[in-house]
Amino acid sequence: MTRILLHSRLDDCLAAWRSAGFTVLAPTRRNELTRFDEVQVASDMELDLVLPERTIKDHFFPQTEPLIRYRIKKQAIDTEEMLPPERKRIFFGVRPCDASGLDIDDSLFGWDYRDDYWFRRRDNSVIVTIACTKADDFCMCTSVQLAPDSTKGSDVMLTTLKDGRGWQVVALTDRGKALVETASSILREEPAEAAAASTVPVKFDLERVTAWLAEPSNFESHFWKEISQRCIGCGSCTFLCPTCHCFDIQDEGDTYSGIRRKNWDSCSFAMFTMHTSGHNPRNTQSTRWRQRIMHKFNYYQGKFGVNSCSGCGRCTRQCPVDMGITETLQEISNLPR
Amino acid sequence: MIYNPFPMRVVSKREEAPGVRTLKLEFLKQEDHEFFKTHYRTGMFGLYGIFGEGESTFCVASPETRKEYIECTFRQSGRVTTTLANADAGDIVTFRGPYGNRFPIEEFEGKNLLFIAGGIALPPTRSVIWSCLDHREKYGNVTIVYGARTVADLVYKHELDEWKQRDDVNLVLTVDPGGETPDWQDHVGFVPSVLEKVAPSPENTIAVLCGPPIMIKFTLNALEKLGFSAENVYTTLENRMKCGVGKCGRCNVGSVYICKEGPVFTAAEVQAMPQADL
Repeated sequence: MTRILLHSRLDDCLAAWRSAGFTVLAPTRRNELTRFDEVQVASDMELDLVLPERTIKDHFFPQTEPLIRYRIKKQAIDTEEMLPPERKRIFFGVRPCDASGLDIDDSLFGWDYRDDYWFRRRDNSVIVTIACTKADDFCMCTSVQLAPDSTKGSDVMLTTLKDGRGWQVVALTDRGKALVETASSILREEPAEAAAASTVPVKFDLERVTAWLAEPSNFESHFWKEISQRCIGCGSCTFLCPTCHCFDIQDEGDTYSGIRRKNWDSCSFAMFTMHTSGHNPRNTQSTRWRQRIMHKFNYYQGKFGVNSCSGCGRCTRQCPVDMGITETLQEISNLPR
Repeated sequence: MIYNPFPMRVVSKREEAPGVRTLKLEFLKQEDHEFFKTHYRTGMFGLYGIFGEGESTFCVASPETRKEYIECTFRQSGRVTTTLANADAGDIVTFRGPYGNRFPIEEFEGKNLLFIAGGIALPPTRSVIWSCLDHREKYGNVTIVYGARTVADLVYKHELDEWKQRDDVNLVLTVDPGGETPDWQDHVGFVPSVLEKVAPSPENTIAVLCGPPIMIKFTLNALEKLGFSAENVYTTLENRMKCGVGKCGRCNVGSVYICKEGPVFTAAEVQAMPQADL
C-alpha cells in the first residue's frame, strides 16, 4: 500500500496547506524565465521541467538582502537588525539536486557563527521534492554521489506514479510528517507503482578528481591555465549554483541613514580578493577558476565532509562560453597518472 | 547578531607617520565592552567602520592587558580608511569583533622573545609586545627589531623612545638606505640584513614577525640561517575581508580561512599553505 497524491487533488492540497498558514512556492514560468515563485493553483506550476533555471537558493540567500538599518545621530547610532520574517513556506516540486544544495550550505552558514538570515528562512520552510524521471545532457548528480531520487535536504519526497495519476508521498523528516498530516484527508492509501527514476550517466571519476586536487604539487599545475582560458569571469555559474554562497557587504545610503546589505558576489570576479594596496592574490582568471574548483571539491570537503556541488549542471547549462565544472573535472579524471 | 557592529566613540587620534593614524576608541554600551573584555586576546582583529562607507579589517593594536579601550592603527589608503582618518574625538565609528585566533603567549612564558616588524606592521606586533611587557617577569630577554622606509615612517615613535629607555628591552631600529636623517643614530639597512648583524640566538627563543610579504620572506630566510625553526616563528596574515566570520568566502589562502583559522600562524603553517594563493 502506498500513500499517494493525485494530480486532480493538488489544488485541494494547496488550499489545505494555505489554510494551515503556509505560502506555497513551486517552479513557474514567467517572461521566459523558469524559477520558484508563489503559486495559488496547480496550473501556475511548471512541473514538467528538468530543472528551473533559477535555484531555490534565491529564497534563502537572496541576491540582495538588507542586514541592518542605520541612522546616525550626533552622539549615537541607531541600528535595527532587519531579520527576515518568520514566514512559513512550502517549496513544492524541488529537484533533489536543489534540495541537497540547502543541506550543503547549512554547514557554512552554521559554522561557529550562526547566520540567522539563512536559518530563519530554513527553519520555517518545508522542502517537498519530486524525484526526477528525466534528465538532460548537463545533469551530473550521479557524478557527485547524489542521485535523481536522493533524499538529501528533502522533508517530503514525491515519486511520480507509473500510471501518471499523481505521486507517491513519503515523509522523511518530522517537519515533513507534520506537513503530510495537514493534507492527510486529501491523500489516498492504495496500491501504486512508482515510475523509474531517470538514468544519469556518471560523467567523471570523483575519486580521481579528489586525489588530484589533494596533491599539493598540482596547485600550480599548468592545467589550470589551460582549462580556464575561455572563462570571462561573468559569475553566472556562481549565481545559478545551488551551493555557491559568497557575498559582499555594502552600505547603501548616505552619512545620516541607510541600509547595510549582503549582496551576491563571486570568486570569479577580479575585485573579489583585491587588496587596497593593489596586491591581488588571485589576479588572473585561471587562479580564480582554480579557487572555484578547489573550494568546491577540496576545501569544503575538508571542512564539512561534503563537496560543495549538487550536480545540477546549471554551471555548464548556462555558461556563455560553454565551460563548467563538468568539463574541468572530466579533464582532471583523464589526466595521465 | 553576527553582522551588527558595536558603536564606538573616538577618544583621541594621533598621527603616527605620514598617512598613518591611530584611533583610541571607547565602547558606548556596557554589554558590548563586557563582551570584548571576555573575548579579546592579543592577535585578534576587528572590522572597523563607519555606516555609509563600509568596514575595513585591522588588528586590535592595544594589548590584552589593557582592555578599557581599543586602539587601531592604519594607513589612509581608500574610502573607509580616509573617513576613519578624518574622524575627530567624539565621533562615532563602529567595531565588529574581536575575531580570529590569538598569539599563545602563555606558551612563550620563560622564553626569550624576539619581535621583528616592518613599517605599518608594528601595530599587531606592538599588541603582543605590551601584552608581554605588562607581565615582564614572565619572559626572558626581549629584543625588538623594527624598521621602516624612512625615519618619518616609524610608527609609535613615543613608545619607541619608551622602549629605548628601558633596560629590560633591547630595541634595534633601522631605516632603509636613504631613509636616514642627519641625526639618525641607529642602523641603516633592511630589516633582514640588520637581523643578521644583530644575530639573536635561537636558543629558547620565540620570534614574532610581522611585515609585508616580501619582508617576511627574506626575514624568514635570515631567521632560518640563524638557526630558528619555523615552528618557533609566529606571524599574522591578512587578506581582503568582508564578513570576518568565515562565510563570505574571500579571505582563504588555500583551505585556510584567515578570519577563522588565523590571522596568527606559525611560519611552518604559512609554509604549508599554497604559496601561489598568498
